[in-house]
Amino acid sequence: MVSKTNKPKVGVALQIPRNSLALLMIAQVVVILPLAAHITLWIVAVCLMCGYWRTQVHRGRWDYPAGWIKTLFVIAAVLGIALSGYRTFSLEAATSLLVLAFALKLVEMKSRRDAYLVIFLSYFLVATAFLFNQSMATAAYELVAVIVVTAAMVGMNQLHSQVRPLSSFWIASGLVLQALPLTLVMFLLFPRVAPLWSVPLPSSAKTGISDRLTPGDIASLTQSDDLAFRVVFDGDVPAQRDLYWRGLVYSNFLRGTWSIAQPLQPIRIEPGKSASVAPNQTLSYEVFLEPTQSNWLYALDTPVQYGSRMDLLADYRLVSKEPVLSVMRYALRSDTKFRADLSLPPHIRARETALPPNDNPRLRDYAVALREQTGSAQQMIATMLEQIRNQQFTYTLSPTTLSRTNSIDEFWFDSRRGFCTHYAGAMVFALRSADIPARMVGGYQGGEVNPVTGHIVVRQYQAHSWVEAWLPEKGWTRFDPTGAVAPERVESGLNAALSAEDRAVLSFLSNARMGSDNFIGDILQWTDSLEHRWNLWVVGYDATTQLSVLSDLLGKVTPNRIGIALLVGGGVSLSLVAIALFWRRRPLQQHKVERLFQIFCVKMARQGLQRDGDETPVAYIARLAALAQVDTNAMQAVLQQQLYDPQAHFSFRDAQWLRQELRKLRFRLAFTTTGTAS
Amino acid sequence: MDGPEIMQSAMGARFNKFLNQRIPPANSVTLSQSNIFIFPTRSGFVFGMLLLILVLGAINYQNSLVYGVAFLLGSMFTVTILYTFRNLSGLTIELAETKRGFVGEDVEFCVRIERPKGKGREGIQIGWPNEYKQWVEIFDDEASLVRLFVNAETRGWLRPGRMLVETYYPLGLLRACWVDINARGLVYPKPIFQDTPNLQSSKHRDDGVLIDPLGSDDFVDIREYTQGDPIKNILWRAYAKTNSLVVKRYASYLEPRLWFSFDDCVGGMEERLSRLVGLALQATQGEREFGLKQPRSTTRAWSGSSRPRAQRVGPVWYRRQISLR
Repeated sequence: MVSKTNKPKVGVALQIPRNSLALLMIAQVVVILPLAAHITLWIVAVCLMCGYWRTQVHRGRWDYPAGWIKTLFVIAAVLGIALSGYRTFSLEAATSLLVLAFALKLVEMKSRRDAYLVIFLSYFLVATAFLFNQSMATAAYELVAVIVVTAAMVGMNQLHSQVRPLSSFWIASGLVLQALPLTLVMFLLFPRVAPLWSVPLPSSAKTGISDRLTPGDIASLTQSDDLAFRVVFDGDVPAQRDLYWRGLVYSNFLRGTWSIAQPLQPIRIEPGKSASVAPNQTLSYEVFLEPTQSNWLYALDTPVQYGSRMDLLADYRLVSKEPVLSVMRYALRSDTKFRADLSLPPHIRARETALPPNDNPRLRDYAVALREQTGSAQQMIATMLEQIRNQQFTYTLSPTTLSRTNSIDEFWFDSRRGFCTHYAGAMVFALRSADIPARMVGGYQGGEVNPVTGHIVVRQYQAHSWVEAWLPEKGWTRFDPTGAVAPERVESGLNAALSAEDRAVLSFLSNARMGSDNFIGDILQWTDSLEHRWNLWVVGYDATTQLSVLSDLLGKVTPNRIGIALLVGGGVSLSLVAIALFWRRRPLQQHKVERLFQIFCVKMARQGLQRDGDETPVAYIARLAALAQVDTNAMQAVLQQQLYDPQAHFSFRDAQWLRQELRKLRFRLAFTTTGTAS
Repeated sequence: MDGPEIMQSAMGARFNKFLNQRIPPANSVTLSQSNIFIFPTRSGFVFGMLLLILVLGAINYQNSLVYGVAFLLGSMFTVTILYTFRNLSGLTIELAETKRGFVGEDVEFCVRIERPKGKGREGIQIGWPNEYKQWVEIFDDEASLVRLFVNAETRGWLRPGRMLVETYYPLGLLRACWVDINARGLVYPKPIFQDTPNLQSSKHRDDGVLIDPLGSDDFVDIREYTQGDPIKNILWRAYAKTNSLVVKRYASYLEPRLWFSFDDCVGGMEERLSRLVGLALQATQGEREFGLKQPRSTTRAWSGSSRPRAQRVGPVWYRRQISLR
């Protein structure tokens, strides 16, 4: 029946419609833009060139690339990525490859099938963007991106003649909008599973505090006003000076650089163990940590209750078992009066007193002398803090650069200008020289309360370092030499401690954030609180949150109940869409009189008195009236008016009257017909 | 070939039987819940794979927003089912007209698609499985005529069978439903034209028309010999009696009806039928009536140009009559 030879090879249906092509070009830009920051620049350039090439092909100026050119491109692309200096199997390398594949596919896109591949790749790139950034703004942007990509897909299935890109765009917007309720249901109910296998991680974007500190170099971290984390306290927010967010412990010192030592074994603290030493004062709070791509977590001293995803190492720092790739949400309970390491294990003692043999001789001599002079460790620390407070030390964000080998000597005796790391570093070095176990601790100090939601916001410029020294009978104790040189830094935040010169270094936004009285500050606080809620309910919606939300919703979380909830939720949301789609198609509402009359006709037909096909309602009633020998002139008049006059008013009372009259007539006829029949 | 066509071929007879029960052939079909089947297309399946990959990515990266993307796309896919249904439901499809054709040609079927009041329909494709599909949209008008062509390979009734009325709208991830609108078109054997059609002379002088006074078939009368007459026509017997040369005169008469006979054509059965069609087609151009003689079928005669359709019917059915023998 069907001959293969006569079948048209390429028809209308196989080509890519023009409007769809235009939308695909827009989609390319929209989708790649948020990834541009994470891939090397030449890939972006290649993307632009590919887009231009395809446009020229469409205009008939250039031709599709030949086979060997394509092969050359692919080889060049893979080589280029290999040479771009990404870590093998890093997320950036994978993303670059994906973006390149996408761009190259775009050039050689001829058939509908190619176009669909490009569309699916676009969706994939949209999802990839969320691996790098999950803010609300990104989500809103990517929602638009999804609409644009979907519009390209809609355009593929519309006839060419009718369609302009904008109409496809509106259809796609409607579609996405209508898909949102079901999305929400699935998002709420779909069980969150633990990772199945390990995946390539973003390598470049390690944010937050570095695991190596070199006080001699210029600090750049302090000047960033990026968000570090948000905290929600259960109850009152502690005072600024007590908010020491402990994250890293720098135990190694070599050539002017403090760095993290080999991780220690995890330990477990029994809550209440320290109760004999000091009355318990515990704080309950939940941290929403922005992605750092590293393992360390921030906590107030000393976390005694934490989730199973975390470990507390023997130097009391909290680490996550998995790197923090997306906003991590963790609940903690900290015991502020906890005495850590009342008896110091020898290996830790050795670790926290170790120093390289020859550098900073002046401070060594000074420390040994001071130790002998003061007697106890505590006394020595007090003297040092006193010196910092009273001698010519200056707190500044732009200190003079120091040499690598004797940086601490130069700072302590010569320049006397610096920020937290300089002071903490000098103090730890001095204590270790005097054989007192001490370590530098990095983290954040302080936090701004957002009055809108009441949570605390900690930003990168609040990064701080301080000193922990081990004192007999007290264990590890925190000292902050920065508090001695610039008490405002600790009491009321960085802003108060900064000189006008330092403040000028900070960006406009940082200044606006730090001075919360102005209008921009209000807006920033408001958006921050919005972002916090976003993290709370969307980004941080993990297995734990899901369990608690679902227990509230369903009472008990069982697979059956989740299944039923999915069915009900899905059904409701799809019904909503169906109503929206089919509402215009519902059968038209019948006029009341017509309905009454039709019911009457059906009932009369059952009695054997059908209405003839060509009989008008009034004529029918007249015939029946003659049969029943009653007078129905009033009813006929009403029917005549109601059925044919569109302006006629028909009240509820009229309806009742008409119904009664019709019933009377019917009964009368039932009586007479049965009478005549019998 | 994908989606429903795979279904149709994979499940074969059983699926077709189910379809025949579900959507019996009818002259006019209105699409509704009972006869719209919605299947994912090949792109739809690839889309499903994409969703799976996204969910796996979301699990491994523990990324809520990647979950969100996957669920949004999945929901869109689900909502599209309603769109697809809306685009098809209520459409009435009927066969408007069928043209005739010859073996080896495309036979035209004219299909009318009518939509109910309300929103216009777009991106509808109509055609037979594995054939080129025609795109239709019905926006401003309430009905649209679609011309479809099916290649005819054998003579007789061409039944293209169950038709696909499908829509990929809006995303191209879902499509399809089947209808059977009793489409059938008549296909004639491929004509073979001869250079000189064998216009046989008639044996019946009465109703014939003299066409060739010097024709050689029928004896008419005798006349005096004039120079140039063929010698073989000389009536030698009369010369012996009368001593004058007399020639027999022959003439050809054209029968008012042309008769084309199956038996007179040369070649195999199919070839003879083709020749017959060719003759009939040529005869249609002329003014004379003609008839076809076929074995075991009543010999019928029709006037030429006035009945151009019917004279062709004969050869189409020939095989069936042979098989009855």
